[in-house]
This record gives sequence, structure tokens and C-alpha cells, in this order.
Amino acid sequence: MTDGYRQQPGKGSDVRVDGKRVAGKLRFNPPGSGGSRPEMKERDLDFIPELEGGNEAQPAGSHLHDKYRTGTTVGKRTPLVDANAKVTGQAWYGDDVRLPNEIIGRILRSPHHYAKVISIDTSKAEALPGVLAVSTGEDAPQKFGVLPVTKDEHAMAVEKVRHVGDLVACVAAVDEATAREAVSLIKVEYEILDAIHDPKKGLLDVDEPIHWRGKYHIGSTNVQKRVFQEFGDRSKLDQSSATHHGKWKFMGVNHGFTEPHAVVAHWDSNGRLQLYTPQQVPHYAHRALATVLDVPMHQVNVIRTYVGGGFGGKSDPFPHEMCAAILARKAGRPVRITFDREEVFWVNRGRHPSHIEVEMYADDDGRISGFEIDALIDGGGFASFGHVTSYYNGVLATAPYELGSFHYTGARVWTNKPASGAMRGHGAVNTRCAIEVGLDDMADQLQVDPIDLRLANLLPPHSKTITGFRITSNGMRQALNRVREGSGWDEKFRKMPLGKGIGMGCGFFISGSGLPIHWDPNNFPHATVHIQIDMDGGVTVHTGAADIGQGSNTAVAQVVAEVLALPIEMIHVRSHESDTSPVDLGSYSSRVTFMNANAAISAALEIREELLNSASNILEIPVEKLILNDRRIYSKRNPSEGVSYLEALHKSQEDKGALIASGAYRTPPMGGVHKGAAAGLAPAYSFSAYVAEVEVDVETGLIKCTDVWAAHDCGKALNPLAVEGQIIGSCHMGLGQVLSEQMVYGRTGHLQNPNLLDYKIPSVHEMPNVTPIIIESCDPEGPFGAKEAGEGPLLPILPAVVNAVYDAIGIRVNDLPLTPDKIWSAITKKMKLEGIDDPQNLPPPRLDFSELQEKLAARSSEHNDRDVRRQRAEDTEPYINGVLFGFDPNTPPEEQDGDWKISVKPTSEQLDNLRLAGSAWSKIEQRKMEDGK
Amino acid sequence: MVGEEHVSMLPQAPTKIWKAEVNGRQNEILAPSNAILLDVLRDKVGTLGVKRGCDMGTCGCCTVMIDGVPRLSCLTMAFEVQDSKITTVEGLSEGAHLAPIQQCFAEHGGSQCGFCTPGFLIVSQALLNENKSPTDQEVSCAIEGNLCRCTGYQQIIESIQAAAAINRGDVEPAKPASEAHSNPHPSGPN
Repeated sequence: MTDGYRQQPGKGSDVRVDGKRVAGKLRFNPPGSGGSRPEMKERDLDFIPELEGGNEAQPAGSHLHDKYRTGTTVGKRTPLVDANAKVTGQAWYGDDVRLPNEIIGRILRSPHHYAKVISIDTSKAEALPGVLAVSTGEDAPQKFGVLPVTKDEHAMAVEKVRHVGDLVACVAAVDEATAREAVSLIKVEYEILDAIHDPKKGLLDVDEPIHWRGKYHIGSTNVQKRVFQEFGDRSKLDQSSATHHGKWKFMGVNHGFTEPHAVVAHWDSNGRLQLYTPQQVPHYAHRALATVLDVPMHQVNVIRTYVGGGFGGKSDPFPHEMCAAILARKAGRPVRITFDREEVFWVNRGRHPSHIEVEMYADDDGRISGFEIDALIDGGGFASFGHVTSYYNGVLATAPYELGSFHYTGARVWTNKPASGAMRGHGAVNTRCAIEVGLDDMADQLQVDPIDLRLANLLPPHSKTITGFRITSNGMRQALNRVREGSGWDEKFRKMPLGKGIGMGCGFFISGSGLPIHWDPNNFPHATVHIQIDMDGGVTVHTGAADIGQGSNTAVAQVVAEVLALPIEMIHVRSHESDTSPVDLGSYSSRVTFMNANAAISAALEIREELLNSASNILEIPVEKLILNDRRIYSKRNPSEGVSYLEALHKSQEDKGALIASGAYRTPPMGGVHKGAAAGLAPAYSFSAYVAEVEVDVETGLIKCTDVWAAHDCGKALNPLAVEGQIIGSCHMGLGQVLSEQMVYGRTGHLQNPNLLDYKIPSVHEMPNVTPIIIESCDPEGPFGAKEAGEGPLLPILPAVVNAVYDAIGIRVNDLPLTPDKIWSAITKKMKLEGIDDPQNLPPPRLDFSELQEKLAARSSEHNDRDVRRQRAEDTEPYINGVLFGFDPNTPPEEQDGDWKISVKPTSEQLDNLRLAGSAWSKIEQRKMEDGK
Repeated sequence: MVGEEHVSMLPQAPTKIWKAEVNGRQNEILAPSNAILLDVLRDKVGTLGVKRGCDMGTCGCCTVMIDGVPRLSCLTMAFEVQDSKITTVEGLSEGAHLAPIQQCFAEHGGSQCGFCTPGFLIVSQALLNENKSPTDQEVSCAIEGNLCRCTGYQQIIESIQAAAAINRGDVEPAKPASEAHSNPHPSGPN
């Protein structure tokens, strides 16, 4: 592929003493090389659990998979299995796929926010020499969307364009210059419509809603989804001893991955579509392609290239993927489309710009008697993942604390902006920031330490949240304790001089979503893994899990290596093609490690059993008395009595050839029965606690985050190197959102910073020292106890920084990002209010503990013992949210308290009293109107 | 986006012969006289390890070494660097061996999704060529023009420092992936 490329086997330049060149002694994995490590390694007892006779401590108790641990790779710092490809430039991303005879596609995008497409004249473009195909919306009338309930996208505009940058037409030509020229020759006639940019206006009835959902449309507004939830007893909230009211504004943020979208489409000689795309979720793209192109799914092969960063931004099926396929079909040649960075911002799918209002209450025992959350989120032009986001903004705030009541109203509206979608920490980040800052404020009012306030209100392991989510392992308490110790919290909090501050925040996130997006009545598994071993002994693992840099290939290889006790280099993960990979739902919801590794373990166990049986046959030793370790199977009592892995393998392969096994994972049935009960449901949850230290320049308002102590409960770190990478990387991304990143829309609604110069991603100089702390709570259902580590660690950094800024200067700004201008104007406002002349004289907040502090400390130490016992399954009594408030966990609380409500629809009295997003409920659906529009 | 007046982008600029040594190999390539180095490297020379991230010099993914100095190939005209020696990520390794900087990025988590990695490798190799024992601050200043969205930079700095230590001879390079040679037929413990 590359001229001048020198890393070929056999070209070694080492010179022997006698002057002869030594060929082919390579320092990286050479293909097809054979045995240079003739002897078996000793068992690595440090990575075998103590209950299995090893030295690895198990403070959180034992695990189902413990007996399959072989001390091979699990728990060890393992470089990514594809790292060598990445450091040598061999990794092939979207734009690196160069097929013979390729042509270049370009897309014509809308210059208007909102307009009807009256006509498109492509004749001049078609006549331009070198143009091989031109396509418009007419060629692809089918709608698609990532969620089956909200399919509202077209490959190119049909009837309307909905935001600047919306696709109108596309062109393929012999080279990029010709394609660009052809795009500029397409004449489009628009009728401009009134655009909406302010999500608040999206709640109002308009003449021409951005989408029309027929009888399910809510009034004639732009409300795409509304949610109402009421749980618990809200009747006593007015007797609270501390209340917090926070009104927040969050700007939209973009994933900012370094690789722009790119796609190559090629209809092969048999008329099958080969589509190369950097997708996080190839399977949904696969489905959408089949629908839009009107071909059966088996005639499409989606090939996931290396993905240059995803973070949720490459998880929708994208219109440009359809465009490439349509152009390639028309032109009869492979088409490559690569985005400019500006186009990446037009496609967006970043975090929703939001208006969030929280009211929080605590009683005189320091218990949290209620969270009232109202979230209006700005969805932009399309639904994308918005249905789910609308729920997540509320329901993912129901833990890790025990709540007396929970009330959430949310609405997602369409506006004429690039669509928002899923981004790392999907839906949970903004609300989490608001409530964690609220808790800090309530701790201030109650005059207690915010860490102790949290410690005294935590849900224990193996419990249920107020909305019925099943919490299994829970390392929240250890996380809080570890960051408290690590950061020297007790010596610093509310004690530092003006301009220096320390703050903390917690996080809670799903580890895989409980229900797949495409609900399937036939119980199709969420993840499937195939393992195949032929006579050479190499293990080929087929998985559809999309490695987007997080290391999912590595995780799958690790667990297979662990179960079979083989060096990880003997495991070859194949995950690129839908032709060869079993269906996997993709890299979203932090589900990959949890579900794929589980599927991989179950497949590997099948192989393990076959190998053990064969070894047992050869050795005439019962299976229970055999040990697997580093390419050998031998007797527990006498290690010299054994067979090599290959001998056992060949015995198993007698008369049938390759060993093949398939494993699958599906979540267990769980959750409540109310409408929306499935949103936020997960087989496990991750927990995290961060402490951040900041310096605020009171003269300029500039914030510098200097240190972060980041504790994350990932169940079990299969690969601590990768977990730490995720934690630090999450800090980086969250820090961007809290300090500098924002998508700026001007007065006319135009996106003003669609490039990486004006969109401020933190550089190395803005990064604090991050001390990652891994908490292992050993999840009973996770693979070897593991849970997610990719998204949850992002949540706590935002509130930790906001709280630290308050600790430094006594000011809370509820408008992210905290840019110097906002901080400075808040400082001047405060100076005016309090009659201070010099910002250096601002009083930093101080804290004198009230009597409640001791009470809380006593309660948390009592709970500490409870939690340890529950975590180790020594206490298996049921526990539900509400026990802290005196409810009996064996009876549903609604039967114990007449005021306890579970409601997903406002009553007529409530309708008059709803807040911003809640007011979406004041409109009725078309089908309930007398004369439907 | 279509104005009333149409300004054609065609025909393209006349082509000329572009000569340069890329990764030790002389290239003579016909390229438009206004070609950008990044395009020439990716589309004509074939060094696809040079990545295009932003086209405006903000992300650093396209960094290549030109006569030993790291430069952004997306902001460099190809004919500006006529007859120079260019090193891309593909040319970093020592013969058939991974360079210490590559090995350390792989082993210390300096590379996650890997898209920014080629740029980081070039700037850090350039730093290590000049400065055998950089401080963390000096490393930060060297990589300040490169954006990484995955790692949060911390493990990148660790990787660079680890490579510096190997280059200085302070540390033996870790036994490189010798397990790849693993014989599936190992002998037992006796």
C-alpha cells in the first residue's frame, strides 16, 4: 500500500559479530512465527483470587467466574491488542480505505435554517465532465433513524431542510475538485420558513412544526418527546430544613473526535454493498442501509474501519452513508466521502443544549426528601437518540442516593439546529451536575460536610432505586472515602484562601442498557461471540463489538485468554465485518465490556470444557483434578503429569476439525411496570466520586483546574491501563464542557464555531494532574466482576469543578461553560451587591459544623457496616429505596404510605403548576383533539 | 451556498514534478502546483498514516517531520518543501523494529483510538531528538499543538518519558511481545 514502508519481516538490519546481516528478528508481532517460548510459565498467583487459592484480595467477596481465573491477563495492565497498528500508521480509518477505481463524493448542504425545497436542478452538475453520479432526496424516499420509534431522517432532503448543513443533494466525480465544482452547479430553489432556535419556543404551537408525527403529534408544537414521572411522597416537602433551587443553562457540546466522518461504498461484482465506515454501531447502520436502499440485509456488508474516536458521535446511521451507497450504485464505482471538520459540526449529535431546573429538599435528619427536576432539552433538527435522552435527564439522577420523592418533567424539542444525540454520559451529565451542585449547597445550609451528607444517604449494594432500578454491586462508599483521603479533603475544604478551592461530585451511570433499542420479541441476545480454533491452535474470536479505541477487542481477547490460559497473542479478534461478525448492538450505553465479555466467557467456557475433557481422556485424570495454565493442562497434584494445549486440542478435534463455540448474553428480566420503566434500566451500574482542586484568578475570572482525584467503581478492572485511560480521558472531556467547550449559535441561529480553533477542546496545558483511583466492587453479573468505565467517569468532573469554584470564591455560576467572562461578571455583581471594592477582598466561604454533622457521621459509619455485609452477600435481606425513611422493604411503599405515588402523567391540578419543560404536557396529542389537524 | 455569480474551481492549477525524500525513499510525483503537502502525502505518496483531522492546523494529526522539524502538513504547500527529507509515522521505526517512542505509546496507553497518534509520535520524536531528558513541562510544550480526545494527555506524557528513558539507556526496553512466538506445544514444568 505504501511506498518506502520498511516494517516488513525479513528486512531486519541487525548485524552479527561476523558482519553478516541477521534477517527478520522483529521486535513486533511477526506473522506466522513459531515457538520461542518452550516452557510453561508458573501460575501467576497474584492474579488468582484468594478464595481460589491465589493472592488477589477480594474485599467485595467472591464471583461466579473466579474459578475460571488462570492468572493470565485479567487484572493486568495490557496494551491494546491493536496498538501496534496504531503506532505504525497501519490502522485504517474511514478515509484510509482506498479502493481501486474509486471516485469522490461531495454533499450539497442547506444554507438555510428551515426551508421548503421547491425544486432542485442538477442538469448543469450532471453535464460537467468528470461527474459520474448526482443524487437527490428523490432517490431515497425511505425514512430512517437510530430508534425505531422515531424514524425521521432521510438520506437527503425530501420536501424540507431542517437546519443549516442539512443534506440536499450529493455528487460523485473523478476527483474532489470536480465534485466540489459540481456541487456548486446544483441550483436549488427554497421557500424559507420561520426557523426556531430557542428551545423554549419549541414548546409553543406553530404553523409549520419541524416534523409532523400525525396523530401522535403533541398539539402543533415542536415537542418531540415529553416525560412526566412522580415517585414517592411529596406531601411533606414544604417542611424541609434545607432547600436548593438551581436554574441551569448548559450549552451544547460536540464530541470533538479527531477523525472526521468518512465512508466508502462499493457494490461488488455480485451486486452486494460493501460499506466501509467508522461506526460505533454498525448493526443499526446495517439495518438502516437495508431499509433506505431497499435491499435485504444479507446483501449489505458493513465493514467497520478503525474508528478515530466515537464518544457517541458515530452511533447514528448517517445520511452520508446512504449517499455514498446511492452514488456508488449509480456510478458503478466505489465512492469515498470524507467530511471537512465543519461538516462534522453540521452532523453533530453532540450533547443537548439544556435548560435544567432543580429543586431539592432535605429534612432535619439530613435525609434527601425530594428531587424535583425539570429539563428542557434542545434536540436540534432530528430525533436521533432523543427519546432516550429525554428519560435519562431525569431517571439517572435517582441514584446513588436514597430519596424521599422524585419528580421529573422533561421535554425534548426540535429546533432548526444540527441534531443533538448521544454523547459520552448520555443524558445524565447535565442533570448530574445540577443535583450534585445542589447537594453541595444543601450541605452548606445544613452546615455539614458534603461528603458526609452523601455518605449518610447512599443506597446500599443490592437495593432498588425509587424508580425501581436494580442496583447490584455498589462501590460508591469506597469511592467517596478514597477521594477524601487522597485529596486531603478534610484539611482543605472551606479552609483554603481566596482563589483556591476544592470541590467534589459523584456519578452514577448505566453499564449496558437493559433493553436493546430494537426490541425483539424473539429474545435475540444483546451480544454474541463466536470462537473458532483450528489445528494451529490460534484462537479466532468473532465479535461484532465495535472497538472505537476504548479497547473492546482487547477486553474480549483478554477474557478468552484468561479462560483458556493462553497468551493473549494467540487470540485473534475479528470484529470488522458484519459478514463474519455475529450481531452486536454496538458501542453505546457502556455495554460492550459487560455484554461482550460475558458472551465471550460463555463461548470460551464451552471450549475449555472440551479441552479439559480431552486432557482428562488422555491423562486418565478426572476433570476436577486438572488445572489450565499457560498452554498446558495438568494434574493439580502432580504438575509434571500433563498435556500441552495443542495435544488436548487435537484430541478434541478428532473427527470434527475446528473447535467452534458460540456464546451469547442477554440481560435478566428486571425493572418496574410503569411507562418508561425500561429507560435507564441496566444489568449493572457504575459509581464514581471525584474531588477537584481549582485556582480562580479573581481579577480575570479565569479558572484553572490543577488536580483531580478520580475514583471510579468499575466492578473489576479487567485492564487497569485501559480503565485509567478512560478515567483520565473522561476528565478531559468533562473539563472541556465545564470550562471551555460550547457550540455557539449567533443571534440569527447560525453556528459560529464549527471548527477546532473556535471550539475550545482543552489542550495539554489545561489538563490537571489526574489521580485515577479504581474501585472494585465485583459485580455479580459482570464478566469477572467488571462493569463499565467509559462514560460514568465523565459525570462527576463537572459538579466537582463548579463546587470547587464556589469553595474558591463563594460564587456559583449556573451557566456552563464557566468561561472567564461569566465568572468575572458574577464577581463584579457580587462585589456591587456586598459593597466590596477589590476582588481580592471577596470572602471565601467558611464552614462551622452544626450538630447534624455528628449525626450524619454516625449514620454513615453504621451504613458502612451494612454495605460491607451486603456487598459480600453476608446480608441478603431485600432493600428498597425508602428504608431510610422507615419503610418496610418487604412491602411496596405505596401500600405503606397513602401519599406515596407512582405516576407518569400529570393530574389536572398538576397541569396548572408545571414548570418550563413540564408545560409540554399542557398540549394534547392530535388524536385526542376533536378535529385532528 | 450557491451565489448568483459562479466562480469555477476548474480547471485545477497546472501540474509540476514534486521531488522529495519520504521515509528514505526518493519520490518524483506529478502534482498540481498549488497542492497541499497533506494531500500529496496521502493521495500520491501513499503514506496514509498522516491523518487529516481539521484542515486548518488546529489538531496536529497531520504533523510530519520535514528536515527534522515537525510541521503541519495541512498548512504546508508541497512545493514549499521541494527536495526536503520528510519523515512520517511510517518512517519512525528503526529498520524492522518499532522505535522506542512507538513501543512506549503502545505499552503505556498513549494511544487509544489512535487517530491523533501519528502526529503525537512525530512531535515527540522530534523533541527527543533535540532533548534527551525533557521535563514534563517541556513535553507538554512540545505536544501543545496536538489535540487528543481520548487519553487526556497524561498517558501520552508518560509514554514519551518512558521512551526518553529507553533512549538514554536508563531502562532496558521491555521484552517486546515475545509471547507472539508462543508455541502452543510448551513443555511442562519439569
